Amino acid sequence: MMRFSDKNTPFHRIDPRTKVILSLMVAVLVVVLNNVLLLMVLFLSIFSAYLFTRPSLSNLKILVFMMATVFLSTMISQGFFYYLEPKTPVVTIVSKSVPLIGGLTGGLQIYREGLIYGAVQSLRLIIVMTLALLIVLTTYPSDLILGLTKFGLPQRIGFMLMVSIRFLPSIIEEARRILIAQKLRGLKLKGLRGVLRGFRHLTIPLVINCLRSGRQIALAAEVRAFTERRTSMKELKLSWFDPLVVTIGFLLSFFLIYMELFK
Amino acid sequence: MIEIKDLSYKYPGAEKPALKDINLQIKDGEFILITGESGSGKSTLLYTINGLIPNLFGGELTGSISVNGLVPKENPIRRLSQFVGTVFQNADSQIFMLRVEDDVAFGCENLLFPRDEIIIRRNLALKELSLWDIRERETFTLSGGQKQRLAIAGIYAMGPKIFLFDEPTTDLDEEGRRDLFQILRGLKHRGYTIILVEHQYEDFIPFADRTINFKEGQITLSLDPLPSRLNPKRKKNFHQSLPPYLKIEDLWFGYEGHPCLKGINLQIRKGESVALFGKNGSGKTTLFKAILGLLRPQKGKITIEGISNPELSPYGCKIGFLYQNPDEQLFTCSVEEEISFGPKNLGININIEEALKLFELEGYKGRQPQTLSRGERQRLALASILSMQPEIILLDEPTTGLDTKGWTKFMDITYNLTLRGKTVVFSTHNRKAMGEFADRLIQIEEGKIIRDEILR
Repeated sequence: MMRFSDKNTPFHRIDPRTKVILSLMVAVLVVVLNNVLLLMVLFLSIFSAYLFTRPSLSNLKILVFMMATVFLSTMISQGFFYYLEPKTPVVTIVSKSVPLIGGLTGGLQIYREGLIYGAVQSLRLIIVMTLALLIVLTTYPSDLILGLTKFGLPQRIGFMLMVSIRFLPSIIEEARRILIAQKLRGLKLKGLRGVLRGFRHLTIPLVINCLRSGRQIALAAEVRAFTERRTSMKELKLSWFDPLVVTIGFLLSFFLIYMELFK
Repeated sequence: MIEIKDLSYKYPGAEKPALKDINLQIKDGEFILITGESGSGKSTLLYTINGLIPNLFGGELTGSISVNGLVPKENPIRRLSQFVGTVFQNADSQIFMLRVEDDVAFGCENLLFPRDEIIIRRNLALKELSLWDIRERETFTLSGGQKQRLAIAGIYAMGPKIFLFDEPTTDLDEEGRRDLFQILRGLKHRGYTIILVEHQYEDFIPFADRTINFKEGQITLSLDPLPSRLNPKRKKNFHQSLPPYLKIEDLWFGYEGHPCLKGINLQIRKGESVALFGKNGSGKTTLFKAILGLLRPQKGKITIEGISNPELSPYGCKIGFLYQNPDEQLFTCSVEEEISFGPKNLGININIEEALKLFELEGYKGRQPQTLSRGERQRLALASILSMQPEIILLDEPTTGLDTKGWTKFMDITYNLTLRGKTVVFSTHNRKAMGEFADRLIQIEEGKIIRDEILR
């Protein structure tokens, strides 16, 4: 679900630099906006961009399920435990006048302000999640890193990012083999305690093996002349589409910020 | 041309020198095979040629060395890398990019070649190493042999005249090895200088112009004879009438609809030492997993000591499994804890001292497992499995990563276990190990047993 899928949609064609700019805009908006409706507008525009990438139905289901969980659980918990004043109760579950529990809990009520606060917080989270997913799905990892280096990310850090993405599948595979080895030696991995036990014994071999191969990787990079300044095989090309996207993004941001501040 | 005069080298902090008074001349286009035990200085010599020593490792280097007129000490590694290409043992750790073609271009990008030239070099390397058809594949999906070719292609594209190979066959199966021989023959034919360090060197002798043997940091004149068996093979008497201990009937298994095991029928008796061989991906490891109960067969039956698969617990202590890489099954903080880990989980008491003695690990009781040598770690991994008193021991490629002396010692221990009534099944590409330490050879190809012979 989280992997690049090679389709030819408009969002795939956007230059990674444009995507970086768009994410910066969204990062600012998420912090500045405080209004549920405005955040909703932002979310819907990102979500419709996501729909443009023609996600498979199963992926869409998972995403919607995740978003709904975050949204509802945050709203409900904030609704209950909102502590700022003023607060207006919407639903009363346990009234203050109920003997014993009422007195102990000070009444269990869902507050309107809490619901709104929860919606704002969860929308912020969901917006960032969807955007990250959108970028990961439509950008080849090395292109994204190239885009970041164009914005001044040092080559060395870019290389590190690249190598860590490249080795992620091997590390997961290795972790799986270590867990099987533990099982074969009679360790019961069921239940929370079992999982914790498994993790305790997982970190030692995993970290040491990573360090060992890290050393080899460093030697191999060295003999292949790795440096800061390198020719870049891939050239990022801006098309007419990119300024358009950036302009739309800017206009939307201005509109949203204007509405937030001066409505 | 490489000229080495009175070269000695000591790693920083080491007491003994890794290389002592090496004198060597290698002419352009020569194929040199370097052999010797682990730690004899073979790889160290390669590092002095490609400049990793002393530029990266530091240490004390005396004497002189020149590579095509360049002195490694006075030139950065990246300058040397245009003349000397190095292919390391583990192909996987030499691949940095996600796409095959991007990885081939990686070195050229570092050398700041113009883009058009990189494309020419990259495409040539892809074609020369028959990677053209898979140039857009993701690198982590390649097979061992393909990864090896990709590692060589990345070096080839940088255009060095000298190729250094540091134990390139360790992770390769028979087909991968044949592939490599062909590549080496091609490189030699085109006039490249090749220096190859290898444990399992016998197959390379016909290619090599010269063979150089290292011992304790020095060049010794002749090749050491191979170590003979520590214990001469003892005769075993199998009672053919004895019921089989492990019985597999018409076993089928597949991953995502792609069949890996296609009707395996196999019977193994107590005390047998069985070698499984076949190409990578032929189904050896899958068969092991099925025997261990880690996979549920789609069809067929596995019976161990009269108990058949439905009741077989997935981690029954009757079967022990040794991974190819022992580091993936050493996860505690001391040798003692490692050996007693399994028995403690099963509630068995064991005699640690006896286990340490059997596996020649005396005096290491409190040591952190990861600080032992590769051979010791593998013996410890086996000890930690045997302490659970299994009846059958499955070993996945136990001879890789060890030199001849190392694996001979290791296999000797496992063979002795079969004399004491344990059953051993090991997979291997190492023909010598099969001949010396197996009573029976089974070849698996494409999920089927195509040969099953008892050795006399």
